[in-house]
Amino acid sequence: MAHSQTRVATDAGGAREQPAGLARVRLRRWAQRATPYVFIGPSFFGVLAFSIIPILMAGFISFTSWNLLSSPHFNGTANYAALLHDNRSLMDFARSGEFVLLTVPLQTALALLLALLMHGKFPGRTFFRAVFVLPWLATPVVVAVIWRFLIDPTTGPFAQFLSFFGIHTGYWLQSTTLALPAIALMTAWQFAGYNSLFFLAGLQSIPEYLHEAATLDGASTWRRFWHITLPLLGPTTLFVVVTNVIGGFQAFDMVYVLTQGGPNMATEVINYRIYELGFQQFDAGYASAVAMVLFLIILVFTVIQLRFANKRVTYDMS
Amino acid sequence: MRVIKYTGLYVILATGALISVLPFVTAIFVSLKPARGLFSTPMWYPPLNPTLENFRSLFDGTSFALYFLVTIIVVVMVTTGQVVFSMLSAYAFARLRFWGRNTLFWAFIATLMVPNIVTLIPLFLVMKDLGFINSVWGLAGPYIFGTPFGIFLARQFFLGIPHELLEAGRVDGSSEWGIFWRIVVPISRPLVGTLLIITSVQSWNNFLWPLIIGGTPRSTVLTVGIGDLSTAVVPAYGPMMAAAVVVLAPILAIFILFQRQIVSSISLSGIK
Repeated sequence: MAHSQTRVATDAGGAREQPAGLARVRLRRWAQRATPYVFIGPSFFGVLAFSIIPILMAGFISFTSWNLLSSPHFNGTANYAALLHDNRSLMDFARSGEFVLLTVPLQTALALLLALLMHGKFPGRTFFRAVFVLPWLATPVVVAVIWRFLIDPTTGPFAQFLSFFGIHTGYWLQSTTLALPAIALMTAWQFAGYNSLFFLAGLQSIPEYLHEAATLDGASTWRRFWHITLPLLGPTTLFVVVTNVIGGFQAFDMVYVLTQGGPNMATEVINYRIYELGFQQFDAGYASAVAMVLFLIILVFTVIQLRFANKRVTYDMS
Repeated sequence: MRVIKYTGLYVILATGALISVLPFVTAIFVSLKPARGLFSTPMWYPPLNPTLENFRSLFDGTSFALYFLVTIIVVVMVTTGQVVFSMLSAYAFARLRFWGRNTLFWAFIATLMVPNIVTLIPLFLVMKDLGFINSVWGLAGPYIFGTPFGIFLARQFFLGIPHELLEAGRVDGSSEWGIFWRIVVPISRPLVGTLLIITSVQSWNNFLWPLIIGGTPRSTVLTVGIGDLSTAVVPAYGPMMAAAVVVLAPILAIFILFQRQIVSSISLSGIK
């Protein structure tokens, strides 16, 4: 930093000191140089030991065949080649894609709706904003446990309530067609309110005069929404969609608690599959290869985000 | 017209709020109902004669009390470490000049892109070599030294501290340590609050890593314990909801006390 350097300079130049003093000045100067590294030291160690080195290790392991017991042996790209013919894992990638398609549009739309409702001043706004965040804050595993109880077809409150109207529910989590949508619905419930906060922040950044000008020109609420609000929320929407896609590809907790990937693999998403391969079948090499492919998919979405995030949607005012 | 508009708004928002809260309320209700007669009233009815029977059987009959203790130890370790180390390095990244600063910072941030599952196998191996499997050290280890996200958040905060404030410390001849502890930390209370909330909640909610690294009762956290409880073939809903309430209680307390900070910290994390 410029000022700290100037101070060192004045210390050294201004003081007509004995050689012993000079040594002290040198020592202080050295200590000052080292200080920043001491500050970042612990977290640098943490990131290196628990992120960077493990990532490199995972890359290496993905080119080996290894059961975690004997020593790994290098098998080139055999794992990646095997993945091309592993229909189960490929289906799990597709299933994760399906899960993303089920959750992201729903929770983004709900979040936008909530944000539009909460935008503007009215009594109780802070209360609602907070309440909608609660499902996100709550422990996901516990949320899953509670939902499992809620939708229990024999004793759960959902079934009891619907039976008043003569509707009988099946066990959604044991149905190959309904299990994944059920988990998607719970996920949307969990994240809609959380995401609405980003839309709220986005709405607040839209200048009021745009709406005023449009109103003067006789634009209806609906037209103002389509032609002002929605386009200007572009960057926010991108952020919400991309972070949720990335999160969706990593769904695990709910699947583990509710269905363990079943019934008949109907909810076996890719993250769960990697866990199974690595920690139940101890096929570390292959699990790492599948994980690296997932990493690549997520990387693509991250790059999309970085590439377009800075392109702000602006209206030409000239 | 205005009245209709507001009534409509409140009806929709109240319905939404109810949908958000009802699962938790139902869980609390069921946890307080006695096992006998549980099915005599609909599940969403408030308990007519509330009892702590379910909680008692949970703490007497299972290792739940031990899981609770293990979780508290891990959360305290992780939170303390993360808040201190994230703030230290964020301060250096924000206000000190040193060789490699930007490269290092972006390397830190880049690790955020890597999905959790990729590093799990290598992390497990590292922990095995260190002898940390089935111990609180293994549970807390990977998170104790600060996370890129915490560092990012703290850096944003430190960038906003007025230059003059730090300069005043330098003129007084304080070292950077002195400036950090005597000037920066005292004015960073909002940041410390945010980091404490985010870190402790994240650590409390963590599931996948504890599932892999723990296993013995002394290295089982609540999320893993309740997961096992719920995969039982015939779930006993009373004790299970009691367990759910026990795990959620600290989260609910934090939520009620700090909702404002939570809401504003989420909005802050979106500005990337």
